[in-house]
Amino acid sequence: MDAVRSFLRHPSGMVGLVVLLIVVIVAIVAPVAFPVSPWEMVSAPFTPPGEDGLLLGGDTLGRDVAAGVAYGARVSLVIGIASAMAAMVIGVTIGAISGYFGGKVDLVLMRMTELFQTIPAFVLAILLVATFNPSLLTIILTIGAVSWPPLARLTRAEFLRLRNREFVEAALCQGEGTLRIVLGHILPNAISPILVVTSLTVATAILLESALSFMGLGDPNLMSWGFMIGAGRTVIRNAWWMSVFPGLAILITVLAINLFGEGLSDVLNPRVSRRRS
Amino acid sequence: MIRLGNAATIGLMALSRIAQLIAVILLIATFNFVLVRAAPGDPAQVMAGQSGASDPKLLEDLRKEYGLDKPYVVQLASYLGRVVKLDLGYSYRQRRPVADLVLERLPATLLLTVTAFCLALLIGTTLGALAGLAAGTVLDTVFTVLSLVLYATPVFWLGLMLVLVFSVTLGWLPPFGYETINVKLSPIERALDVAKHLIMPVTSLAAIYLAIYARLMRSSIIEVAQQDFIKTARAKGLTGPSIVFGHMLRNALVPVVTVAGMQAGALVGGAVVIETVFAWPGLGRLTFDALLQRDYPVLLGIFLILSIVVIVLNLLTDLIYKLIDPRMTTGAA
Amino acid sequence: MNRREFTQAMLAAGAALPLGITRAAGQTRGGTLNTIIQPEPPLLVTAFNQQQPTLTLGGKIYESLLKYGADLKPMPGMAQSWEISPDGLTYTFKLFPNITFHDGKPMTSEDVVFSCMKVLTETHPRARQNFARVASAEAPDPLTVVFKLKQPFAPFLGCFDCTSAPIVPKHIYEGTDFRKNPLNDKAIGTGPFKLKEWVRGSHVHLVRHEGYYLKDQPYLDEIIYRIIPDSASRALALENGTVQLVQWADIEFFDVQRFKAQKNLEVTTKGYEYFAPHQWLEMNNRIAPMNDKRFRQAVMHLIDRDALAKRVYFGSAKVATGPISSKTKFYDGKVKRYDYSIEKAKALLDEMGLKPDANGKRAEIKYVVPPYGESYQRAGEFFRQSFARVGIDLVLVGTDMAGWAEKVGNWDYEMTQNLLYQLGDPALGVARTYVSSNIKKGILFSNTQGYSNPEVDKLFDEAAVTLDEARRQELYSRVQQILVEDVPVAWTLELEYPIIYDKAFKNVVSTGIGSHETFGAVYKS
Repeated sequence: MDAVRSFLRHPSGMVGLVVLLIVVIVAIVAPVAFPVSPWEMVSAPFTPPGEDGLLLGGDTLGRDVAAGVAYGARVSLVIGIASAMAAMVIGVTIGAISGYFGGKVDLVLMRMTELFQTIPAFVLAILLVATFNPSLLTIILTIGAVSWPPLARLTRAEFLRLRNREFVEAALCQGEGTLRIVLGHILPNAISPILVVTSLTVATAILLESALSFMGLGDPNLMSWGFMIGAGRTVIRNAWWMSVFPGLAILITVLAINLFGEGLSDVLNPRVSRRRS
Repeated sequence: MIRLGNAATIGLMALSRIAQLIAVILLIATFNFVLVRAAPGDPAQVMAGQSGASDPKLLEDLRKEYGLDKPYVVQLASYLGRVVKLDLGYSYRQRRPVADLVLERLPATLLLTVTAFCLALLIGTTLGALAGLAAGTVLDTVFTVLSLVLYATPVFWLGLMLVLVFSVTLGWLPPFGYETINVKLSPIERALDVAKHLIMPVTSLAAIYLAIYARLMRSSIIEVAQQDFIKTARAKGLTGPSIVFGHMLRNALVPVVTVAGMQAGALVGGAVVIETVFAWPGLGRLTFDALLQRDYPVLLGIFLILSIVVIVLNLLTDLIYKLIDPRMTTGAA
Repeated sequence: MNRREFTQAMLAAGAALPLGITRAAGQTRGGTLNTIIQPEPPLLVTAFNQQQPTLTLGGKIYESLLKYGADLKPMPGMAQSWEISPDGLTYTFKLFPNITFHDGKPMTSEDVVFSCMKVLTETHPRARQNFARVASAEAPDPLTVVFKLKQPFAPFLGCFDCTSAPIVPKHIYEGTDFRKNPLNDKAIGTGPFKLKEWVRGSHVHLVRHEGYYLKDQPYLDEIIYRIIPDSASRALALENGTVQLVQWADIEFFDVQRFKAQKNLEVTTKGYEYFAPHQWLEMNNRIAPMNDKRFRQAVMHLIDRDALAKRVYFGSAKVATGPISSKTKFYDGKVKRYDYSIEKAKALLDEMGLKPDANGKRAEIKYVVPPYGESYQRAGEFFRQSFARVGIDLVLVGTDMAGWAEKVGNWDYEMTQNLLYQLGDPALGVARTYVSSNIKKGILFSNTQGYSNPEVDKLFDEAAVTLDEARRQELYSRVQQILVEDVPVAWTLELEYPIIYDKAFKNVVSTGIGSHETFGAVYKS
């Protein structure tokens, strides 16, 4: 529990954690704080902040921006975490196979990874979402599908580093199976940098989701921050609050995750941390 | 291993990379084709739909015109054959050769991305180096916080906020477009006019990369400063600027250049959003429009061109890498 | 056609001449009109592409034989007069003399026959249907065109606006692959303006056609269509005077009110009479519960269409009463009215047995959001909230243009929104949505919802070939009553797109074609 204690002493990491917790709480209590659906038209169009009981104002249809921001936290967190998980599963699988087996397998997988890195991630994401129509699931899978290469490379590097360690060879001598060695011995030793990069992937996933929604490629049934900014873009002259507040929400959340992730990194693996940042 | 001269090593490497490049391009072409064609939606339907009226004959004509009635394999083969000949095909919707469409949009995108890239690299590394050299001071903290905030800012939102402040509120900068059209301007005035339109898009696009490069440069400088050869140089009596410029910067730039090369693709991705916000007439908008309209040949053409651009940038980065980091040359051969 | 109408047609034709002369008096030559084209058209040849931006721009370049007033009555275009034989089978048009194409070659009746019968029947779906009714088209002399119909077709005289029958040069297209003709880039027509330059992604520059056949026209020197993809930027461009004219959806509906207050600008909703954009919530009649008339009637009750017009379209719309727009001929408002009533909607749903479950939910229906811009998205969100009030979950499905076209065209949808033009006559723009002969899989803007009623078919068919206007009115009134009772689609609004222009420009909106018009008569004071 040394790690926990030193994290508690990590100032920026703690700031990140606290802010993140606030965002999580907002996400959880959204239905209680705003019992009326964020889609419900509750006021006149373009109600300025503070008027008509709307703290952050109303949008084009008279919907509560504050409710939207609160519900948007749920969407952003769910999509951010789920797609980072998806990216981790893909990336770790490919990186582990590549790093453990090496040789031709490694060569082919790394070429494939490069190929994926060649196409601009955002353009690929647009293409994938549009291809399979935007919904919660397709967005998560898409963001996962364009975010895994860095995780694959990291995992591969860790596996290359650990593959020839004594404890792996000892396990090999005892006749343990490949899967067992990979999951039971190598992965646990490689897990902390992977977790750190995954946590940072949550932040980029949130940014990616917001950009997709902004471009009109979000799930139309979900009130997300990117969607709100997109809806506010054309009316920025009439209603600045429609785009300013959701944008601030993204900024604060992403910043908090980054601070948290870096704090985690400093505490868990100073070596990787210094190299990366 | 025979130790080759620097130039020869680089030459060999470039050759093998070019061979790889061609293979990768064909692979990407195939990948693109499969991906784009996996999409639901019939381009003939879209074209017919946009006409506000439709009938079977129109659909049949359109499918025949664009070879959509042939099997996929035949379409793929003819596509690859044309790619080899550098013929990017013909746009369904715009009824023009794809190469023309891409080429006329490319300059605006290059202007935007290259300017943003250079600015981000220049300012980012400068700020990062300053922060790194002044590590631990207030200046360092300010830079660090600023870069963290920029790094967390959605590109499109930053663009909107700039519009809100500098166009809507202050009225200083044009909120959209590439240039003021239909006014007769001298070449210099025109350049200034374009530059004025360029400020906000470039700033929005550059911000996040500026933050990344600054952070990288900062930690890189700190790391390099602790390395033995700097300590040796200091021990030899070298001081101040000669250490900073001769040794530290050169070495500290290595990871920044690596990352910058890898991010060329991401920069182009960012351009898609920024061009939407600022109505910038570049490739990014063309991509998005083509996507919504399922204009396959244009999409395939853009992806191919972007992929080539990114691969070439990666290759260039490798070369620069070799040039600024002499330690790498022997190892590479 | 009876004697009275025949005389009317001749009068209409003759009336234009003195009008043209009086108009010429106070008008000044010169000036530039800056306007917007959005989105950028793929090409300018209206014969090959009928998207709205293509028509707006192409309308200046390509002309047809007739124009139509706000009352949809024909007016001279390139034809200075016309005659219809008493049996309604022979249409004889007399062209203005000295009409030239932009390349200097004369435009004659040969070009008209070639365009209508060879080019448009090949490339233009709407025109294809219209000219399929022609038995023969002849050019007895360079200024005379004679169409002989197979059987009477009441709206035939309504088929010659610049969007339905643009005239292209025979000497350029004869014997070529029309769509791939390299001269398509030059866009050679007979209109008052010709293409000077098209900088893709930036602007299209039109300049006056010096050889235009109407004296002194065009008055303007040039028109510049700027391509501004972003709507906020378009609004700003209008506000600061960068552009002096906007049309269709250039300005988002919420901004329209703002411009009414700007003194130098004129905001009008006139100029869309020919198109009369008619919008509805489309329901696939083949699928339960939409296959039940009571469900569809409930939908009419549960949408607060006044609120829809106010909130989503910011007042730029009028509640539709039925299949025919109040701006179109043969409209009849004396039909069953569906007021906004959650109670009536619930009662109808209960009656048909679609009862709420324990959670108050009656059904879940997928709604495909048409990918044509923000107001469609907002309308979808509005509908979702409306349906929620009676316990129906409307799940919005986002898609791109290809996906939407495919889903709707192939009947693979439950609900969506659709918008069709009325095209000046119910036989041209309305019947296509409801007659069972137009249930054609894979074809957009057909009877995609799959409504079929033999009586409706018969009424529409008879009305199309009946020449007596009073009799046509009877038939169309009957059809409106039946359709409004059956609710094949839930008509929501008649959209009233604005045309906003700088008051320094005169004659901007002079016909029912509005901004698609040639603009030869537009001048700057």
